Amino acid sequence: MEYYNPNSYPAFSAFEEPPPPAISSEGIIAEDITKRFRSAASTLEPGELVKDGYFSLFESVGALEIMDPKMDSGCLAPGESLYEDYDVTRPLLPSEVIGIIDQLLSFEVAWHLGYPLSQTLFTSVYIEKMVQLSPQNLEDADFIKDRPAGSPRDPMHTVLRAYCLGLLKSCHYVNERIKQEHSYEEEDFVTNTYSRSLLENLDRDMIREEIMAARKVIDDMKGELTDEVAHALGFRLELRTAFLRAIELSELRTNSDSLSVPWYQMQGVWESINKSRSLGTPVPDAFSAKIQRRLASTMPPRPIVQPTPEEAHENFKRMIADGIRVVNVLNYSDSQSLLNFVMTFQAQRPQPLVYIRSLLQSFLFHEMVILGRLSIRQILGDDLSITVLGRSVLLDPANDEIEAPQHPLFVISQQMELFRQRAAQSYLDIFRTFCQNRCRVRRTMFHALLDWESMQIDAQELDSRLQLQLKEKPLIYPPTNGVESYSLPLSSWTYLYKLRLMEWTVQLGFELDIYHPDELAGMYWYLGYLARTRAAHVERVQFFAARRAESEHNMSKTYTSLRPSQSQNYRSKPYLDLAALETAYTSDLADALSWLYAALLRLGLVRPPPRPYSTEALRYHQVRMKPFAGIGLPELPSHEAFARVVAQEGTSTPMLLEQAARAAKDARGKLEGMAKLKEKEAFAVGCHEAWLKGVKNATRAAIATVVAATSLGKVVQEKREGRVTVEVPKAEKAYHEWWIVPRVVEVRD
Amino acid sequence: MAATKEPNADSEVHKTSLPGELQYIQYQHSLEAQYLPAIRSLISKDLSEPYSIYVYRYFLCQWGHLCYMALNPTDSSLIGVVICKLEMHSSHSTPTLRGYIAMLAVSSQYRGHGIATKLVRMAIDAMAERNADEIVLETEETNIPAMRLYERLGFLRSKKLHRYYLNGNSAYRLVLPLKAVDESAEESE
Repeated sequence: MEYYNPNSYPAFSAFEEPPPPAISSEGIIAEDITKRFRSAASTLEPGELVKDGYFSLFESVGALEIMDPKMDSGCLAPGESLYEDYDVTRPLLPSEVIGIIDQLLSFEVAWHLGYPLSQTLFTSVYIEKMVQLSPQNLEDADFIKDRPAGSPRDPMHTVLRAYCLGLLKSCHYVNERIKQEHSYEEEDFVTNTYSRSLLENLDRDMIREEIMAARKVIDDMKGELTDEVAHALGFRLELRTAFLRAIELSELRTNSDSLSVPWYQMQGVWESINKSRSLGTPVPDAFSAKIQRRLASTMPPRPIVQPTPEEAHENFKRMIADGIRVVNVLNYSDSQSLLNFVMTFQAQRPQPLVYIRSLLQSFLFHEMVILGRLSIRQILGDDLSITVLGRSVLLDPANDEIEAPQHPLFVISQQMELFRQRAAQSYLDIFRTFCQNRCRVRRTMFHALLDWESMQIDAQELDSRLQLQLKEKPLIYPPTNGVESYSLPLSSWTYLYKLRLMEWTVQLGFELDIYHPDELAGMYWYLGYLARTRAAHVERVQFFAARRAESEHNMSKTYTSLRPSQSQNYRSKPYLDLAALETAYTSDLADALSWLYAALLRLGLVRPPPRPYSTEALRYHQVRMKPFAGIGLPELPSHEAFARVVAQEGTSTPMLLEQAARAAKDARGKLEGMAKLKEKEAFAVGCHEAWLKGVKNATRAAIATVVAATSLGKVVQEKREGRVTVEVPKAEKAYHEWWIVPRVVEVRD
Repeated sequence: MAATKEPNADSEVHKTSLPGELQYIQYQHSLEAQYLPAIRSLISKDLSEPYSIYVYRYFLCQWGHLCYMALNPTDSSLIGVVICKLEMHSSHSTPTLRGYIAMLAVSSQYRGHGIATKLVRMAIDAMAERNADEIVLETEETNIPAMRLYERLGFLRSKKLHRYYLNGNSAYRLVLPLKAVDESAEESE
């Protein structure tokens, strides 16, 4: 491509008409419209925009201005050359090879963090020379082209080339894995390779052999290299082999022990690499932002993104640690432990890198076989059993064997299949959603709410057909003052998840610092309201579960073919007990914080902004609670009712603070009870440590709430309101991201 | 809009006192030659990647009436500017007339005098008068002064946008609802 050179004079003066281009071509009748164009243009003011309705903001942002060095990648400063002039054939010192490799490691990390190849690895002149002609075979995959046949490679070139081969190949697999799973392009990761090869045509084993051969070259140089340098080079090559191996094994999804071996190997090697960083000599000239000009891209030139060696170290170390941990997901125990695994794994700060999150997705969902061995039916059945159905006849696979269409079990089998078809995708989407970045988790869950809302209605319909087949007798619920109702297992399950989704969206709002401090009283009240609603629902499920054995027993008497269901409660009882505990501490702590913030608002220690525009009611209905407007159950309170209950006007401030301290103390007690649960009881098999950490952090938040409410109570009692200020921490500084506890600070003179 | 730097409206340090009562005027096309270069340089000062001339003209040619400028009374030079658009937004099931604050900038030496707030208020008033249902914008999560400015006026954060800007920073979407829009519809992306 030819670029305009500002230093050469144009062939014609700017004031003269340029010569018309040659316009003769077969089949084309050319017409000179210059005059007409000029006369039409003369009716426009300079700067007037002529556009059709399809010219959007997106198009205008995509437009570039030629000769603006910030936009025009071909624009050169006087005397600047178009391309970098680094000579890749020059001999390299061993320390320079270490330096270049360590720079490449930094760029690799930057790419994993979400920066495009064009600003990271593809700024390497060595890599550019290696891949620009899309090597089709191993011999062509070299940065030195046209090497005389038969002449051996320089040993240091051999090492660097082998490293680059391993690096590019692993980048290829990483990129493909990310493309196959769900993530957000540009936001999470840039999969663009700018039409450059990542050695997809070269065999993995051949590349491994090249790396082995390069390690042999290092061994053979023993006399010329110090041991330290030889090891430093060797470790860097070993990292590449181990990474390729880790990737290869991850495709198998077999047992977690063997899958984690190469990750452990990387962990050991990485420490040695980090320690030997000082042996390297950086070669900054081997990287250039100018290479972007050759890449197939419409992007303006962008600066090189190079994390510091320390950032690179931290991130790479973390990726390896997460790689070791993520394979544990394959040790399936039960559906709720699986959900807890995914939730706690993704709740880590910082979140695991996109590649690791994609690995998790592939372990979970690849080819619709969950964790490489479970059908969707198995896992959904497992979940229905744990949460609501126990060992109900509804879940008995033997029902499928019945062929008589009038047989109740035949109908049951059909209805259950209908439900699975309706629910499977929405259910699996919860897992997939938790694998996204936190901002997207919250937003995606808002969308999911409406899906679960409509699913609940569909499930009710199926429930009513099932209760007919089961000849279910309605029970009075609640047992006192209640009305006759049925167990409604499928819609109960759906409602349980809908409520959890609602709670999660509110909690993620705290985590992402969405709410202004003066909104916290209201949002914690709403969280408490949701948790209480779920607690009441769990109680209902418990009630019907306890009586299901009895009612289904009647049915098994009618159909002798049916195995009498034993241990009805199975894992359902411990699960429901845990859910009761969890909702109880959530509502306690949410209430405590709601009351504490309500008191702070009264005392003027947390102040709403002036907000001259809009109204509280509009903000409530049109923005903050809008995602819940479409939910029928539990219905969103009117703004008036909401404002009243949040303000707690009937309660004095000292009383409010006392209530808050007491509720937080109750929450603490429940959390301490939870902390004693074993991994099976906590439904945290395979993730108990991470789960426990969350419980302990929530406990700290509860303790801090007690302290804040108590000390504020004293302040009020002693009328020292003017002597204190209140700090509302950002979520990342809180004990737990979902529990934003204010700090009461004495003003110093 | 990506990468618009809002001014440090609440800065304690007043670098320069104001040169008298500022003039606030509405942009119109006849002012392009006089002010567009200044608008561009004021806004692009904080951008790693500048907008092309088309971006400015996209807004100014269609919604010049929603662009306000703060001028120095002594020489009519540009001190601050706000650029907006207002159009139907129909990815909601109930379409809304959505105002959008695209760019806001105040010359650094005159920050801390409430100029940005005044400009934003003029823009909001103009959009409200034209029946806007809501006004939205994005701002960088690290830009505390800008968020404070908008939140003081009544905006709420509605969502966080992960790595929204080229520099890798995330953004918040801020929303100011002006009218009740009847819907049980879902929030759009």
